[in-house]
Amino acid sequence: MTKVNLNGEDISVEMTKEEFEKVKGLLDRDPTITELGGFDVMWSEHCSYKSSRPKLKLFEDAEANYDYVLAGPGEDAGVIDIGDGYALAFRIESHNHPSAIEPYHGAATGIGGIIRDVLCMGVRPIALLDPLRFGRLAGNSHSQWLFKYVVKGIADYGNCTGIPTIGGEVEFDDSFENNCIVNVACIGLGTIEDFKHAPSRAYNPGDYIILMGGSTGRDGIHGVTFASRTLTEMSEADRPAVQIGDPFTKKMIIEATLEAVKTGFVRGLKDLGGGGLTCATSELTGDGNTGANIALRKVFTGEPGMTSYEIMLSESQERMAFIVKPEGLETVLDVFKKYEVAHAVIGKTDDSKVLKVFDGEELVVSLPAKALSESPTFKRAEKRPEYLDTLLAQKTPKPTTSLKEIIDKLIASENICSKEWVYRQYDHEVGVRSVVKCGEGDSGVLRIIGTNKFIAASVGVNSKHCYLDPYEGAKGGLVEICGNVIANGGKPMAMVNCCNFGNPEIPESFWYFSKAVEGMNDFCRTLRIPIVGGNVSFYNEDEVSKTAIKATPQIMIVGIINGVENIITLPFKESGNDVLILGETEAELGGSEYHSVIHGLEGGIPPKIDEEKIQARWNLLFELYRKKLVKANHDVNKGGFIVTIAEMCFKNKIGADIDLTGYNVNDLRDDELLFSETVGRFVIETIPKNYDKILDLAEKFNVTVKKIGVLTSKPEINIKGLNQNFKLDVIKMKKLYDSTIPNLMEI
Amino acid sequence: MTIKIAVIQFPGANCDLDAVHVLNDVIGVETSLIWHNHFKEANFDGVVLPGGFSFGDYLRAGIIAAHSPALDEARIMLKDGRPIIGICNGFQILVEAEFLPGALLQNESLRFVCKWVNIKVINDRTAFTHKMNKGDVLAIPIAHGEGRYYTDNIKELEENDQIVFKYSTEDGSFKTEANPNGSLENIAGICNIEQNCVGLMPHPERASESILSPKQTTHGRVFFESMIEFIKRRLT
Repeated sequence: MTKVNLNGEDISVEMTKEEFEKVKGLLDRDPTITELGGFDVMWSEHCSYKSSRPKLKLFEDAEANYDYVLAGPGEDAGVIDIGDGYALAFRIESHNHPSAIEPYHGAATGIGGIIRDVLCMGVRPIALLDPLRFGRLAGNSHSQWLFKYVVKGIADYGNCTGIPTIGGEVEFDDSFENNCIVNVACIGLGTIEDFKHAPSRAYNPGDYIILMGGSTGRDGIHGVTFASRTLTEMSEADRPAVQIGDPFTKKMIIEATLEAVKTGFVRGLKDLGGGGLTCATSELTGDGNTGANIALRKVFTGEPGMTSYEIMLSESQERMAFIVKPEGLETVLDVFKKYEVAHAVIGKTDDSKVLKVFDGEELVVSLPAKALSESPTFKRAEKRPEYLDTLLAQKTPKPTTSLKEIIDKLIASENICSKEWVYRQYDHEVGVRSVVKCGEGDSGVLRIIGTNKFIAASVGVNSKHCYLDPYEGAKGGLVEICGNVIANGGKPMAMVNCCNFGNPEIPESFWYFSKAVEGMNDFCRTLRIPIVGGNVSFYNEDEVSKTAIKATPQIMIVGIINGVENIITLPFKESGNDVLILGETEAELGGSEYHSVIHGLEGGIPPKIDEEKIQARWNLLFELYRKKLVKANHDVNKGGFIVTIAEMCFKNKIGADIDLTGYNVNDLRDDELLFSETVGRFVIETIPKNYDKILDLAEKFNVTVKKIGVLTSKPEINIKGLNQNFKLDVIKMKKLYDSTIPNLMEI
Repeated sequence: MTIKIAVIQFPGANCDLDAVHVLNDVIGVETSLIWHNHFKEANFDGVVLPGGFSFGDYLRAGIIAAHSPALDEARIMLKDGRPIIGICNGFQILVEAEFLPGALLQNESLRFVCKWVNIKVINDRTAFTHKMNKGDVLAIPIAHGEGRYYTDNIKELEENDQIVFKYSTEDGSFKTEANPNGSLENIAGICNIEQNCVGLMPHPERASESILSPKQTTHGRVFFESMIEFIKRRLT
């Protein structure tokens, strides 16, 4: 908080003294209180990306480099052309701070916000995905409370709006105990025409500006500045800064907006999120090179006596701003009337390039339309944390229990066990598009009705890996999430990310952000994956324990599958078939679940990424798919490939005779081989007669492929070829896998 | 004469387009999406009340929609024997509008539940089940938070043969673990005494295409095929 003097009065603002001086310089006068509020919000970290923008410049050229990218970073959502006249829009965003204080409404309004971002691209929101982070559940009622109500908030909001939640991931780790991570992603589908009808610019003078949806109230004022500082013990007092969601109104807004866009009379569209009306009107006119006259008292308010400051800065949910052609005003208003959504014509665009807001006769805001978006940027210092050397030097102790006991513990551990308790609460089938449903594949697969095309989407990253090495960790996240899409047969088309980090003013925290961005950028350029959008959430660091969260650059990948016959699923299908593994296993136990669950260690050497090898494996897989040689596929993730194999056995209660003789080319210890989390490996099921054909292709593509076993009808996994042979009971493992979260949450 | 079906769009319905898709594109019957205030019974041979959260269901599920003018129109259809089906929220609305007896309470788990279940056909003579056989077990998904069926007059339901479906295991037994929400007697769907109006919590429109079904079944289609056949018989 800074104190500045405005017209003889001391006022508390979030901006710095220098920023206040810059405001005065821009205007050549003192701002009004409403204007100052606008600058304060729009120049906050959350809205202006002032710390991250210099770094995010790396991502800026997606539209130029990929012909199918229709909208890239900087838009409300990334949009790609997927052929057949269809556009796919998607975005991911954080709602961490509100959720840490008020998990139910914080998460719900996070969903509300991301739906609006996609909707304002003119397309129908068709899917949600939510990657989450909490403190460990066992013995921690605070973490359980956050987890329970975040999931309920997502479920109630998503279910009511009729948008299926088709995926997500959860990690539990102490570093998130006070700063939970609630990221929300949405995918929208529409025609390219629909998308073209809804630019987020008011580029034509003389158009009407309509505010539609929920009423403007006092909730959520300064929500974004609240999100731009660290949580303190005082943060409980910030609870009024958390908005309240209304999914029913949102559902009406979705239908009314889509119908209004179809009339052809809408010329611009923007949702009201952080910064409220101030942000929406200034961005519409600023980006459109126009100006506007707004009559503030036309805004329908939720309570009487609101000041111009409150009306302009309210972050009340469920509101959209429309720019409408004059000749279409009545038609558009009729649509809003049909759906009984509140609306008001609040002003008109003009060619003044100035945003003017009148409170009755009084001019309360008069700003060059672009001024609010001209926030200063900061070049933040970065420094590699000193503790890393010690962490990276940690060695894996020799296991003191049997491998079987370790596997049982891992499969029941919070980060590996089934998340069914979560996705059963989400309506993941509404819309009749869900082909590969929650729990059935590495990614969620949706059909595009009327075509033979399918969307595969996945989201996640490994925070423990990123903590040890954000550069390789971010790359590893991309390998893993692309791997999820590829495992289901999808070709990764584009990426969006949500960067969750600590306080950017602390050089060690900023270093994590900086390295993660570099990792994402390097990987995506090499593998030709456009980055079409992102969101940054800093200050996930609490002042009570003085610790930042583990770096969490969430990655979402959207892919396309052409043809129903090319969808691959996770479960093993038939006994007698071969089990093959693609890729070598390295001694990479740093940040693994094995280290954490069995040895209580956070360090060690995390996985390193070799882009050339990854690309070769992906190419080989697509060749195997083309030749119809793969019956099941699952990428290797937390807990190592034994966990992967067990997960593939569960659904059809199949077993496997696994012989690892000859696979251990790097001469690893048994525990290293089994539990290493080397990224980019896949376990596939194939038919024995095709084995030679597959090996020939593997050689041609220069990929290590090794047959490690055969499927059996008895639900038992027999493991040979190690120093210790052992047997796993699939039914018992499934029980362990399924019961962890219900046991913790249903007391 | 072509058969015309209406899917009523209540504010907050969200399975409306799904039902329209299945009826038009899978079953191949002329089906229109009608905004609840615009619905006129005279134009239609049958009506579907789809799933969703009508008016947000902030009060009790279905209670506000039950007072929509669309229900007055539907009541005329109910009386003259035209087929009416309420799916999920549609079932809740039919119960609140007293087309069907009983109540739908919050799930026993207190949580929303979305999953595929099995239901067994108890009454195979209704407008929506006459192409099924008593004892058939259907694979079909549910997705609801308030689906626990309750009535204090179960005897009457049984005597009038108004229980249409019960949750069961895959092999047709009514074990407790087959009951996903705590419904009385595993009841998943019921009908009126005249058997032209059926309400159920599971979603036949989500079980009508093999690509969406875990075991490639299309049991949901039979609901709509029965309805079409029923209408044809009425018209001739």
